[in-house]
Amino acid sequence: MGGRDDVGSVFAALADPTRRGMVETLLQAGTTSVPELASALPMTRQAVAKHLAALDEAGLVERAADAGRVVRYRLRPGALTPASSWLRTTEQAWDGRLERLKRSTEGA
Amino acid sequence: MSVRREIEIDAAPEDVWEALATEQGRERWLEDEAPEVVFVEVEEEPSRLVWWWSRDGDVEPTRVELLIVAVPIGSRVIVVESAPAFPLTMLAASLQMVVA
Repeated sequence: MGGRDDVGSVFAALADPTRRGMVETLLQAGTTSVPELASALPMTRQAVAKHLAALDEAGLVERAADAGRVVRYRLRPGALTPASSWLRTTEQAWDGRLERLKRSTEGA
Repeated sequence: MSVRREIEIDAAPEDVWEALATEQGRERWLEDEAPEVVFVEVEEEPSRLVWWWSRDGDVEPTRVELLIVAVPIGSRVIVVESAPAFPLTMLAASLQMVVA
């Protein structure tokens, strides 16, 4: 499985509100670039590039394939899967716990 | 990012509270899932309990909020477990991505 470390690095990268905003931009727009983000956000291109590098390191973004003068970034397919599997695992865990809670409390 | 589940129990809120808020009570239904860290943030007997736990050392703690509501059958228990670093808006989007 190895999912726990992945969840941890995704959480860590997304703990920063600026980077969360970038991921949300990518979810809506599909791709983005350093100049686009720098014009939309109150920060320099250098700062934007640094945040993108952190997202890249966490495996959340990658360079889009389309050739152009400006490098475009997109979400890496499946990057958010560890987070989704946390949701499913947690839901299933609580379904089981609540059933046991019910049995133990009603039987008391 | 959070998960919400609920269940109805044929027992008084006070009895459900005892099962949630005391160590002996929790042992009956958490069984061997004893968490490594529990920090109780809110304790409003017998209706609201919030704790933080970590079920694995290398994962950030998550927040568990338990609400006990009196209903005709006895109690409704609502649980919300959240991983605060992950915004709710991401939840729907990430699920869509996985389905797609």
